[in-house]
Amino acid sequence: MIEKADVVIVGGGVNGCALAYELSLKGIKAVVVERKHLASGATGRCGAGIRQQWSSRENAALAIESVRIFERLEEELGSSIGLRQGGYLIAIHDEKDMEQAEKNVEMQRSLGLDVSILEADEINDIVPILDIEGMKAIGATFCPTDGHADPFKTTYAYANAAMRNGAEIYRFTEVQDIVTDGEEIKAVRTNRGTIKTGVVVNAAGAWSKKIAEMAGIELPNVPYKKEIIVTERMTRIFDAMVISFRDGIYFSQQDEGQILGGIPPPETVTGYKTEPTLSFLEHMSSTLTRYAPVLKHINVLRQWTGFYDVTPDALPILGEVKGLKGFIQCNGFSGHGFMLSPMVAKLLAQLIAGEKTSLPIGRLNLERFEKMDFEKEKSVVG
Amino acid sequence: MRIDIHPILQFDREREISFLYNGNKIKAFEGETIASALHAAGIKVLSHSIKLNRPRGFFCGIGKCSSCLMRVNGVPNVRTCITPVEDGMVVESDVQQLPSAEFPGSNKEDISVDILVVGAGPAGISAAIEAGKRGVSVLLVDENPMLGGQLIKQTHKFFGSRKERAGTRGIKIAEELEEQVRELEKNGKVKILPGTSVFGYYGGGSSHMLGAANKMSNVMYHINAKKVIFACGAQENMLSFPGNDLPGVYGAGGVQTLMNVYGIKPGKRVLMIGAGNVGLIVSYQLLQAGVEVDRVVEAMPRIGGYSVHAAKLRRNGVPIYTSHSVKEVYGKDRVEGAIVAKLDENWNFVEGSEEDVKCDTVCLAVGLTPSARLLFQAGVKRDYIPEAGGYVAIHNMEMETSVKGIYVAGDSSGIEEASTAMLEGKIAGLSASISLTGRDSSTTAKMEEYIKTLEEMRRGPFGSKAREAKRKILEEASNEGI
Ligand SMILES: Cc1cc2nc3c(=O)[nH]c(=O)nc-3n(C[C@H](O)[C@H](O)[C@H](O)COP(=O)(O)OP(=O)(O)OC[C@H]3O[C@@H](n4cnc5c(N)ncnc54)[C@H](O)[C@@H]3O)c2cc1C
Ligand SMILES: Cc1cc2nc3c(=O)[nH]c(=O)nc-3n(C[C@H](O)[C@H](O)[C@H](O)COP(=O)(O)OP(=O)(O)OC[C@H]3O[C@@H](n4cnc5c(N)ncnc54)[C@H](O)[C@@H]3O)c2cc1C
Ligand code: FES
Repeated sequence: MIEKADVVIVGGGVNGCALAYELSLKGIKAVVVERKHLASGATGRCGAGIRQQWSSRENAALAIESVRIFERLEEELGSSIGLRQGGYLIAIHDEKDMEQAEKNVEMQRSLGLDVSILEADEINDIVPILDIEGMKAIGATFCPTDGHADPFKTTYAYANAAMRNGAEIYRFTEVQDIVTDGEEIKAVRTNRGTIKTGVVVNAAGAWSKKIAEMAGIELPNVPYKKEIIVTERMTRIFDAMVISFRDGIYFSQQDEGQILGGIPPPETVTGYKTEPTLSFLEHMSSTLTRYAPVLKHINVLRQWTGFYDVTPDALPILGEVKGLKGFIQCNGFSGHGFMLSPMVAKLLAQLIAGEKTSLPIGRLNLERFEKMDFEKEKSVVG
Repeated sequence: MRIDIHPILQFDREREISFLYNGNKIKAFEGETIASALHAAGIKVLSHSIKLNRPRGFFCGIGKCSSCLMRVNGVPNVRTCITPVEDGMVVESDVQQLPSAEFPGSNKEDISVDILVVGAGPAGISAAIEAGKRGVSVLLVDENPMLGGQLIKQTHKFFGSRKERAGTRGIKIAEELEEQVRELEKNGKVKILPGTSVFGYYGGGSSHMLGAANKMSNVMYHINAKKVIFACGAQENMLSFPGNDLPGVYGAGGVQTLMNVYGIKPGKRVLMIGAGNVGLIVSYQLLQAGVEVDRVVEAMPRIGGYSVHAAKLRRNGVPIYTSHSVKEVYGKDRVEGAIVAKLDENWNFVEGSEEDVKCDTVCLAVGLTPSARLLFQAGVKRDYIPEAGGYVAIHNMEMETSVKGIYVAGDSSGIEEASTAMLEGKIAGLSASISLTGRDSSTTAKMEEYIKTLEEMRRGPFGSKAREAKRKILEEASNEGI
């Protein structure tokens, strides 16, 4: 195992791999240490939706910039990422929703996003199988450049490009301790040896809290068990991802025709429990078929779980921790860290290289929780 | 292509019915499945693959491979190999379109039992009988409409121990087992749910929760069981070679089902891959059904099955080529022939040894893999044991796994035979009952007797693989304190 590196990234999900790539472009040698295989955490289990319609300016800006990168990523990395931009259709259920939607759309448009508010009878033009009465919609917002990418292909495309540029990726290698002198990062201890380094990036998803503890830092993140299903295939009928903040449901049709989607499980479960539940399966199926009754005859093929790494404001924690030089956070994505990864990686690479970040990320530091200076993101599903 | 005269079997085709296939009227008999009736009418292409639009036909015949998905009465993705055909049914080969059928509504039922047995093959039925006799409540679930698992298609006389009914035909054993368990059903000791798939394990503790569904009647079951015995059998292995998905390439089990359960010939001329017992027996059964067998090829340097079965084939003029395998299967929309070739010691094809075999059917009898996914979902300790056929649940002598109250029996616990599957079923049924009612001198004696018989059965030269598999499993169980 390598003995020394400029940067050690803990976690081989989409964020860790994307960051290794962005660093490699700047000539900074990164080592990714992953406990299992790449994308074995939330990345390989996620809905992989890409949405720019957020209520907070921070999330919206990160997502918009990320979409710009996603759009040219295949060419840049030299392999397919399975991007499809079929839009996100967000249900509006009542006047209160409508008010919030209008506010969101105004802010999103100010950032240059093409997003509009649809009347109830326009919804079926986008997704023909929806039952407007069943889903209780009075309208919807729609952004045509939102979409979906393949989380495995994206992670591997980043990882392979990073390795071509000299990054090293250790799989089935577990980080067991982080060595500091109380002020600075010194080394990372793994089950296969110790790597000396001045910079550690904590991109360990739902396990980031544990990684931070190794460095003596407390994160407010909580792991939430989330469940998701995929159905058998059928003709391609719609391109958009359909979501509702009130019901918490999201679903879309994959390229091969399966419907993939999730909803918050009836019983909220925190901690590292991975068992799927029957109550989720029933809740998901009944809500999905309320939205799209024609799916009643379609079989569910698989059901699985993954973790959201949730922060108090549902926004990620990015940047260096005050008081521990070289300890960089890249976690707390709260259920939307796939879509943000291209821009997050770019920004953190700039930060590590000592450059000015192309978007301000100061507000996303860890200290905001201590100061109680944050506002909760409202547009969350799943 | 229906078989009319058969030396052993009799097919009662009572009521003739008809159904529509892509708009054409097709004749069928009540009791046939959609796929078998289509086969009898010479229709072999049942569906097309989604990305490359390659034709797909009947492969497994037991609802496991999804190559027979069709649209039935407006419902897409129906597994036509396990769906009984009905008069006036509308069957279309276009799977993909949205459902147009009304949804009849669904029901939910909660069931609480002492012991749930998943799978009604020889292992599962034996377990249900053993437990049912002991005063605990038993639920027996199988996703096939018929009970008996693999046995219902085995027309040959069984090998193995005299005590465990060697010399009796598999179908006969299946009938006897079914009679016994139906008797217990009548007395309210065992409840039977055929046509119902157990689809998931949802948590344990003092009892176990499982989900099951009957697609025909749209009932979803929440099953709460104090003990669970998994006797899910095994799945046939595939081989990779160009053309392995052409209609006309079958698993040996699928061929047996077509011939022996529905009385339908898979084709006219067969190339058999694999000379283990299954390959040899099915080849002979093909001859009995009036189908030609061109040859049997076997990758290993020697025949794996019993010599009596091999001798029977040779007597009927079927050559067996050892150190040979299939290189490619060709044809437009269906099998027209295959290229077979010799293998060298490193398992590479010997150049120049290729031979073109003209056939319309290729039958794969290349082993089985234990069906143990529900067990793995339940979190049992597992390991890869090559002699057992793949990943299996580690279990102790009394068939209990590392998760308390979860048992395994039959092929699902390692590929073996029906005779040992029945005994393992009895042991699992007994040990699950004992764990509820307590152990006494008579149950202890019974357990010892079963275990002793099982060990005797594995003692012969042909039990060596199973013996090794079980030795490894038990050793690991004892190391793990199971
Ligand atoms: C059901 C579900 C649906 C989702 N849907 C979406 C969606 O539609 N759109 C979206 O943008 N996001 C979605 N998300 C969220 C998204 O999946 C995550 O935010 C994102 O994948 C996080 O990526 P990551 O690389 O930061 O973390 P992860 O992918 O979780 O990677 C962290 C890695 O760290 C490794 N690790 C942990 N501890 C150690 C250690 N000690 N040593 C070494 N390695 C370690 C883990 O094995 C893991 O591979 C969803 C999540 C779930 C669970
Ligand atoms: C051609 C051939 C010849 C053979 N000859 C002999 C012989 O001569 N002597 C001998 O002893 N053995 C013989 N065998 C082997 C014997 O048939 C098997 O070992 C035996 O059937 C295994 O019994 P089982 O109960 O474990 O599994 P199976 O018979 O495979 O039954 C498993 C059952 O479980 C059901 N099931 C699986 N999963 C689920 C689920 N999730 N929900 C509901 N139901 C489920 C299946 O539908 C199936 O009915 C032969 C096998 C073959 C293929
Ligand atoms: S599922 Fe029907 S042939 Fe395999």
